[in-house]
Order: sequence, then C-alpha cells, then structure tokens
Amino acid sequence: MEEKNKAIGKGVSRIEGILKITGKATYATDYPAKNMAYAVLFKSTIASGTITSLDTSAAEKSQGVLAVITHKNAPKLNLKGGLRGGALLQSPEILFHGQHIGIVVAQSFEQATHAAHLIHVEYQKKEGKTDFDKLLPNAEMPKGKELADLVRGDAKAAFENAAVRVEEIYETPIEHHHPMEPHSTVAVWEGEQLTLYNGSQIINGAQTAAASTLNLKPEQVRIISPFIGGGFGSKGGQWANLVLTAVAAKMVNRPVKLALTRQQMFNSVGLRQRNHQKISLGASKDGILQSLSHQTTSHTAVDSEYLEPCGDCSKIMYEVPNSLISYRVVPMNVILPTYTRGPGKSTGSFALESAMDELAYKLNIDPIELRLKNEPKKDPSNGKPWSSRKVVECLKEGAKAFGWDKRKAEPGTNKIGDDLVGYGVACGTYPARQRDSSAVIKLTKKGNNVNATVEIAASDLGTGTNTILAQTAADGLGLAMENITVKLGDSNLPPAAGSVGSVGAASFANAVNDACTKITDELLAKSGKQFFVRPTAKDLMISENVSAFETRADAKAPTQADQYSAHSFNANFAEVRVNALTGMVKVTRFLAVTGAGRILNPKTARSQIIGGNIWGIGMALSEESIIDPRWGNFATRSFADYHVPTNFDIGKLDAMFINEEDKIPNKMGVKGIGEVGIVGVAAAVANAVFNATGKRIRHLPITPDKLL
Amino acid sequence: MAHNNTPLTEEEKKLFGDLMPDELDEVIQTGLKRRHFLKLVSLASAGLLASHLIGAEQLFARAVDVDVDVDVEDPPAIAVENGVNVSFRVNSINKKVLIDSRMTLLDTLRERLELTGSKKGCDHGQCGACTVIVDGNRVLSCLTLAASCEGKSVITIEGLAKDNELNPMQDAFLKHDGFQCGYCTPGQICSAVALMKEAKEGQASYLTQNIRNQQGSIILSDEEIAERMSGNICRCGAYPNIVAAIKEAQTGKDIEQTWLFAG
Amino acid sequence: MRPFKYTNTNSSSDAINLLIKNPNASYLAGGTNLIDLMKEDVEKPNELIDLTRLALTKIALLPTGQNGISIGALGKNTEAANHPMIREQYPLLSKAILAGASAQIRNMATNGGNLLQRTRCSYFYDTAMPCNKRNPGSGCAAKDGFNRMHAIFGWSEECVAVYPSDMAVALSALDANIKVIQPDGKFRSISIHDFHRLPEQQPELDNTLKRGELISSIELPKNDFANHSAYIKVRDRNSYAFALVSVAAGVVLNGNRIVSAHIAMGGVAHKPWRARKAEALLKGKMATVANFELAAQAEMEQAKPLAQNKFKVAMGKNTIVSALSMATKGT
Repeated sequence: MEEKNKAIGKGVSRIEGILKITGKATYATDYPAKNMAYAVLFKSTIASGTITSLDTSAAEKSQGVLAVITHKNAPKLNLKGGLRGGALLQSPEILFHGQHIGIVVAQSFEQATHAAHLIHVEYQKKEGKTDFDKLLPNAEMPKGKELADLVRGDAKAAFENAAVRVEEIYETPIEHHHPMEPHSTVAVWEGEQLTLYNGSQIINGAQTAAASTLNLKPEQVRIISPFIGGGFGSKGGQWANLVLTAVAAKMVNRPVKLALTRQQMFNSVGLRQRNHQKISLGASKDGILQSLSHQTTSHTAVDSEYLEPCGDCSKIMYEVPNSLISYRVVPMNVILPTYTRGPGKSTGSFALESAMDELAYKLNIDPIELRLKNEPKKDPSNGKPWSSRKVVECLKEGAKAFGWDKRKAEPGTNKIGDDLVGYGVACGTYPARQRDSSAVIKLTKKGNNVNATVEIAASDLGTGTNTILAQTAADGLGLAMENITVKLGDSNLPPAAGSVGSVGAASFANAVNDACTKITDELLAKSGKQFFVRPTAKDLMISENVSAFETRADAKAPTQADQYSAHSFNANFAEVRVNALTGMVKVTRFLAVTGAGRILNPKTARSQIIGGNIWGIGMALSEESIIDPRWGNFATRSFADYHVPTNFDIGKLDAMFINEEDKIPNKMGVKGIGEVGIVGVAAAVANAVFNATGKRIRHLPITPDKLL
Repeated sequence: MAHNNTPLTEEEKKLFGDLMPDELDEVIQTGLKRRHFLKLVSLASAGLLASHLIGAEQLFARAVDVDVDVDVEDPPAIAVENGVNVSFRVNSINKKVLIDSRMTLLDTLRERLELTGSKKGCDHGQCGACTVIVDGNRVLSCLTLAASCEGKSVITIEGLAKDNELNPMQDAFLKHDGFQCGYCTPGQICSAVALMKEAKEGQASYLTQNIRNQQGSIILSDEEIAERMSGNICRCGAYPNIVAAIKEAQTGKDIEQTWLFAG
Repeated sequence: MRPFKYTNTNSSSDAINLLIKNPNASYLAGGTNLIDLMKEDVEKPNELIDLTRLALTKIALLPTGQNGISIGALGKNTEAANHPMIREQYPLLSKAILAGASAQIRNMATNGGNLLQRTRCSYFYDTAMPCNKRNPGSGCAAKDGFNRMHAIFGWSEECVAVYPSDMAVALSALDANIKVIQPDGKFRSISIHDFHRLPEQQPELDNTLKRGELISSIELPKNDFANHSAYIKVRDRNSYAFALVSVAAGVVLNGNRIVSAHIAMGGVAHKPWRARKAEALLKGKMATVANFELAAQAEMEQAKPLAQNKFKVAMGKNTIVSALSMATKGT
C-alpha cells in the first residue's frame, strides 16, 4: 500500500510551470497564424435606446481596414445559443452602455484601433435604468425558482421577541473579475471547420455555445485553451466577443485576432452585481440564535436574469429555528452580471458574518464562542446530515495558530504609534459537487518503460489541474509523475465539466481516477490471471507485455451523494493596521483554515486559498466599480480607478488545512477550494477594522475616507 | 547566426526521443535549431509535454537562445503607415524591423518578432504584464514606442535564461509557485530580475527609512520587495509566493515553503 | 492611435523648430502619459518629436553664486530620486518621486514630463463624456458626477480636476524653478508656483508654458530642511495608486521652535497646493501636535469640497499633521 499515493498529497510544483516561467505558455493571442487580421470592437455610448445612424464611411476608407461589421451587415446569429450578455450585432437596439455595436477588422492592430475611433453613431435615446438606489424600492421577485423565498418558522416574530437583536443593511458594490488576460480570441476557419483559440473555463460549454450561436454543429467548432490567463467566472460562460471573432474571420476570409481592451472588460464579460443585503439576527441573552433573515436586493440585465445567491451561507451556517432567505431584483441597463469568485457566498458571508460580529459585540461574547454556540448538527435548510463539517476545528485550530488570545475585545484599544491594530474572524462555506466528466488513459510501453497520456477536456486557469491530474494518474497507474502526460484544454478531448463552482478538481480527478481503475481492471481481465495483491497498470503492461492500451471512463457523482449536505468550510482570521490619521488600512496578517476534504497538492492548494484571500482583501478594501447614472457608463474605467490589490497591499498570509476524509461527495474525497478561499474573507477584514477602530463599515470597500 | 551545437546530454536525448522521435537523429547531428524548439513549444502548447518538463528545463533554457533571425520580414505595405526602420538588440540578437510609427514595443515583440512571452494586460501602463528590461532597466513595453528603441537592448522573458541555465529568478518562481494562471508571470519575472540590479545599486523606495543615509547593495525585506513589485499586478493573488521567490533569489538561501495541516 | 510621423533629434533647437512648424506636433519624452492618452484618442498629434536623445539629463550643482542644484528635464525620475545629491540635500523630492507610479514607470518617465502630466479625471479620459479640459465648451461631467478624487481647492465651474503628480508637490514645497528654452533659443525661468495654473475659464491649459517652449531643467534652491522633511501619500491602496491627498512638508527648526514651514499638498487642486496659511501660522511657534492641528485646520477651512470628496478636508488636515510630525522627528 505504501507504493500507492506516492504523488497525491505532495506539494509538487506545477508541471506546466516551466512554460510559464520561460514565456512559452501559449494563451489565446499567442497563437501565430499566417495572414492574421486584427479586429477591434466599438461600443455604444448610451445605456438605452436605438441606433438611428451609423456612419462607417471614414473608418472603411481608413488605410488597412478590411471590414466594418455592424448590425447592418452582420450575419444572422442564434441569440439563444447559450452565450451570455447579448450584444451580438443583431439589431440597432441598445440595452446597456458599452454594448458592442460593431467591429473594425484591419491589416494591423494599430489601424483597426484608429479606425474604430472614426465611427460616427447617432442614437434615439430612451431613459435608462441606471440608478440602483432609485430603483431599489421597486425591486421585483426574481424569475428563478431557486430564488423564491425560503421560510422556516416565523423569522419576523422570533426576531421581534428576541432578547438581543441586530438588524443592519450591508452593501457590496459592483466588482469586476479583471483576469490579467483580457478575453481574447483567435478565430481560424478551414472551410466550414472553425478553430477558436480562446481561454475557456468550460471547454465544452464554449464549444456548444459558439456552435449553436453560429448555427453550426458542435463538431464543426474546436476550442483550444491549454492556458487561460485567469477567469474567476468571467470565462465560465462565454460572451459575444468569442463568436464575433469568428464572424469577422469569416467575413474577411482570414484568421482574426480580437482581444478586448482593459477598458472594454468593464462592460463586455459580466460583473459581480451590487448587493443590498438586510440581515436581521435575533438571539437569546446567552447567544443562542432565534431568528435569521437575509434579504437581498440585486440588479440584473433588462433582458436576462442572473443573481448571485447571497443567502446561501445563511441557509446552512448556523442552527436557527426561524429563518427567511429572500431575493428581489431590479432590472438595469447594465451588462448582465455573472458568476464571480465565490458567487453569492463571498458577498453574502460579508453580510452574515459582519452581523454575527455585531451580535457578539452586543452580547459581549467572543465572536468565536458565538459561532461555536450555534453550530448545527445537520444541515438546517434541508435536514440532511453533513457529509463532513469541520467549522469547529477550523475555528479552534485557527485561533490557536493565529494567536487569537492576543485580541483585545474592546475596539480601539490596541495602538502602535499612529496605527490601530485589530483582529477579526469570519467563517465561510461552499458546496462540494462532482460533475460528469470523461477521461481517456493511453498507456504505451517501450522495453520496460511505461508512459501514460491522460486526455480530458478539462481546463487549468491556474488552479493546478494539470498537476493534480498527473498526480492522480501516477498513483492510479503505479507510474512516476514524469511518465504521465496530461492533455487538456481542447474540445477534441473527452468531454468534461468546467473549472467553475469548485467542481473542477472533484470532477476531473475522479474521472482520471476512474479511468485508472478501469484500465487496470481491463488489463487484469486481459491477462486472465488471478493476483493475490492487485498489480498496477504499469506492472500489468510489463508482465503481460502489452505495447499499447487505452480506455475511457465516464465518471459521475456517487448516487448516495445527494442524500448528504456536502460543503467545504473555513474560518478566516485577519489582523489589520489602520492609520488613525489617514484611514489607510493594511491587512498585516491573514490565516485561512479550511476543511475541504482531501488536499491533492498542498502547494497549489495553498496558492488557491491565498489567491482567494487576496480577492477577499480586495473586496474588503479597494475594489469598486461605479456607474454614473446620468449616462449608465462606468466612471471607473481602468486599473487606475479600479483598485485590485497590489503586492504591497498584502501582508503575511497563511493557509491551514484540516485533515478530513470524506468520500461521500466523491470517491476521491475532494471537496474543492477555489471558491471557498474568498468566502468569509471580507467579513474577517471588516470585523478586524471594527476591532481596530470601533467603526463598523457596512458598505464595502473600506477605503480610507470611511475611517476618518 | 547564433548556432547552438552543444551536444545533447543523455537525459535530453531520452526526452527528445520520447517527445519528437523523428527529429532526434537530426538534433544529435546538427544541434538544436529554432524549428525543433518551435515544435517542442507546440507540443507543450497542446498540453503534450506536461511532466516531461520536469526534466526539460535545460532543454528549454538552451532553446531560448536559438533565435537566429536578423532581418524581420516586412508586413504588406498597406499594413504600415509612417514606417520606421528600427535596429535594436532583442535578447542579444540584432533585429531590424520595419514598423508603423504607432507600434508599441510590446506589439512589436508579440506580433512581429514572435516573442509572445511579454503580455498585454491593460495596454495603458497600469498592470505591469508587459514589463521588459531595456538597457538594464525594467520598463513597460506597452507605453514604449518601438520607434524609440533604435540602438537599444531589450531583454524579454525569452532571453533571461543564459548558457543553458534558467535565471535563478525563474527557478525560484517555479519552486515557490509564484504564479497561478501564469499570464502576469513574464512581467513579474522581468521586473524581479531588474529589481535585483536596483537593490545592488542601493536604489531607494517609498519605504526606505532614512533616505539620506545611502548605502551600497541592499538586501530587501519582504515589505520592500512587495512595495517595489507593486507595479506588477497578479490577479490570481500569488503575491506572497512572489515575495518568497525573490527573497530566495536575492539571498541565495533556501526559503521554506509552508502549508499547515491540523485536526 | 491616429497615424503620426515619428521624428528623433538630438538637438533641442531642431526639436523646437519642428514643433513650431507643425501646430499638431507634440514633444515625446518618457511617453508614460502621452502614449496612454493617444491610445485613448484624447491626445491626437500627427507628429511626435522624440526628445529622449537630447542631452538634457544631467543633475549638477548650480553655478557658484546660485546655491542649489539643477535637474535635467529629460533625466528619468528614477535617476533623480536616487541621485546622491538629491537624496542628501532634497530627500523630500526623492520620497515624493518614489511615492509615484511604479518602478517601471519611474524608469521611463522624465522629470520634465512629470510636470506635464495631465489629470487622471476619468471623464477627461473618456471621449464619450463631456469635458472642458479635453473638449472646451462641452461641460464638466465631474462637477456633478463621480468626483471623489477631485479638487477641494481652486476649482472652477468649468473644471474640478486635480493634477496627479507627486514629484511636483515636493517641488512646490522646495520652491523650485522651471527653466525652459524659448523658441528664440533664450532661456526663461518659471517658478513652480506659476508653472501650473488653476482651471478658471480655460481648463484646457494645464500650465503656463507657451507653444514651442521646451523644459530644460528644474532648479532647486538650497534649503535648510533636508533633515526635517516628509512626504505622505494617502491613497486607496498601499502602492501604485494616485493620491487622495498627499502632503510634502519641510520644517526649519531652531531647537523645538519652527523658523519656517514649507507645506504643499497633492490631490486637492489643479496644481500643487501650497498651504500658505498653515505655514504663516506655524512660523515662530513650537513644533507641537496642537500647533500643527491649528495650522492644518486653518488651511483646510478654506477648502470647498464637492459632493463626494468632503472627506478630503479632514484627511488633508490629518495628513498635514502627520507629515509635520514626521518631518519634525527628522528625515
């Protein structure tokens, strides 16, 4: 048995890392093509109305321009093909500021960019829905069934009768994903076959959406996406730019490269919507929760609905007999919101876990103690048993490692020079799920040297997929990692789930593991022999002298999985320093303690967790996109205005994992870490700011002005 | 013409034989050529190399030096306005290229010189993904007109490995997982390599205490590294790992990687 | 970018002549702001005259009789910040430069170019929006819009933008002079206080340079507060962000008594804002936090904040106090 699991669990460096450190990793726009043409999008400058005239003549005459494509000459596309956000140049109607209204294709990028400035557009303007605060009182019931009011007991009555109450509104602003690689595509047609080089978190999803929108069969479209320059949800669903690149390539009969500009990233590929969350907590004097209401109002696009589920954490975090989770929505002339790291949970936990901190302060109970008092034995939302839940361990081990005992309970009393020091804690959770995925293993033998290739249309956007699949295959086949080749990021490979919603590792690794088991079984059967100790696939290839062998496994979640409630959980500890004079905040220390089942590779897992933490710190302190309601445009329109954290914004970060064996959600016992890493982070920081300053900031981000 | 005729090591032969058996004899006879390297890269791009690469660092490092182009092919006349002929050194090779006056150094590297390692993250000087080293200093290639580079020397991520060896900074980034998606990485590494020179020269930062007291070479604290690297945005959030990698590269001492388990 | 002719010269008189000849030509130095604005179609020159090969890069003592130092306009920000004479005699300038942008940008940006940075107002950058600075007469979108980052001193109905440089804030506190070559080849010297202007009715004009004039150097007079100066920059993140408020402070002390104070602010006006009122109140007073607070309060009472930047009044006050405290402690 020692021979097994040699690779899994080890902190192995990324196997594709060498390509990344030498500049040889190929992202979409790195693909060379002979005779490449360059496309640039141009966009509406109103939020609502109709294009009445579109003068493209100057652009068309501009040197090097090959085509100007607008709704007047674009081919008919299928608007229900599965792309998000519309803007497919099918009509003169404008639904949001910055909607694509055309493409210039030219010999060079410089020429295309210049010509795009020469387009003259006239509009018939309509009054746009652009002011969230004004629209808030008229919020509607969302259409999605999963967003219906979730009622348990009588939350209102229990709140009113509770000895201690907290009722506050928490606001999170619009945020943008801003992966470092702007969404970009190279489209190459060969006859009726289309190849799209395009960073895609869901390879097969991109393929079917592109094909369907272009009225093609899926097999006519190939997505190539071995490297993705970050996505964080924005490259999960695909957007108009993917297909418009193909349209442009078809129209100029050349390969076309189209990369969104950073500025265009604000209104092309979704966003995290603004959330207005009202939390009402009622508790007994000794801190036992009696009532929890979490009422969220968000916005969505005027023609399509997406809401991030802010109430999800509140559904399951605490034992409480009376609860109400509700959603309301205001349609706005703003691009469709979409999944953004820790969708719903990151923002929802900010509200819930801030309120818990407020309650603890009111009760004069340590915030860790308050959480321990309300730990649920089973999932309070549906009565199912937990597959595993290590919140208590996360809190206790974290408190020990972080030095929680050094926290001063009274805010504003820990001072070093002009700096106020504060500690905060907050918990988080994210569901653990396995999605259908298929993998092929190909074994070859030369002499006694056995090599394996793993093929799966999975994606690796920096999550470590390549590496964990090599580890999984090495252990599953009895090979060393250097004998494994992983092929992913290509829709020609066996279909797989996406790297979204923390399903990637569970779905891909179980598919590969199943394929390893299956190929070993088949080699055993082929040998016709009985073994006392089960041999590895490698042993069998050698002993049976097989030169090449392959198999495919189609993996599904275990059938009993849905009888349990399966989630990753964490506890986050933040130490901040706030300059009392300037209001500037720095997170000097942060510890995330996570119970996420089996950790396949602690090195890449730690990176995922601290990456999520840094996202949460950005959410807490600096990230905010602001709409000017007069025009519906983003007044924050560059990285100079939209402040993602820099290296110097980040202090010492530590990641701790709770040992946890849980094979209920999937055979490998993997619960997922990509999303949970951000959940609870903003609240931990905000709670630490309160502890430092006595100021409770309920409207993110906590910029210096709010602390003066 | 810069040839690279160093014979392959046994390990490299095995690797090459596995990956590109058809080319093995040719490489053994004539040395590694650009076309071999490009094929290697294309295999890598399709995900075919994977863990073979654990042993392939040397091969890659050597291959980086294989570029032999001097005159870069002109684009069609229609694609160039206000053409400027620029001669400059890129990764130690003299390049002569005709460009549109509007073309930035970044787009020239990427679209004309087949050096796609430098990345376009914002194109406005706000992210650092395009960082390259010009005449020894880190600069943003997206805000540099290629026309202004006449006679200058440019080092990109592709040119950091020397004499078949990765730059220690590259090794340190790999070891410390100083990246996730990898898109900002070429800029981070170029920036970090130039930072080593700045530290050696004793350059100051916003954090420098007692700025009037000037010293020679300085060993940078974690905070100093972080502040001085703040012009390179990493959205995946590899910052602490980047700091650890730079610290290890600067001190030459092993920095321990830590992840904790409990319960 | 619009097509443009690129010209390179190593003669300042050639550069000036080329510029005078073509009303749509621009000088190009480090390019960190101009190229950015050309990509946005805000700046639209049809000819760029690259100045980076001019020999105006030296940092040297001024001729005897004029105590001080001269910084070549086309030297890089990094070199200025790290020059031994500047670090020793004008540490305030080093600190201010190092507070700005990133190492990469400071390696590209020139000292003269830094003075000519245009505002970072997002409406100025967005050609779909009204902006009197970009398009005179079109209106000011920021006045009643997203103006959190904008001016609290000296703005006009036409423009509420702020000037984004850190370096120039220190230059203001240091009473620098900007030496320029005029089209006739003669030099003139402009006080830093007169170099940048308030927007008034002509926000399209950032400064008082005349067409064709070329900055040759920045001259710093000798000062007595090298050992008592500080630059503090308050921003939305801890590095690589424009200032909400910044303060450059230099204090000449006699024991614990203030002989003179030099205070300039960034992020609050269309030019570096010299806090004369605070300076006057501090003269002759003891260097105590209470006195710093009184002086800072008096200065900031003159502020006229906009709807979204009222916080800058308190922030400005606190930052002046903080900078004076730090300066008093010693550089």
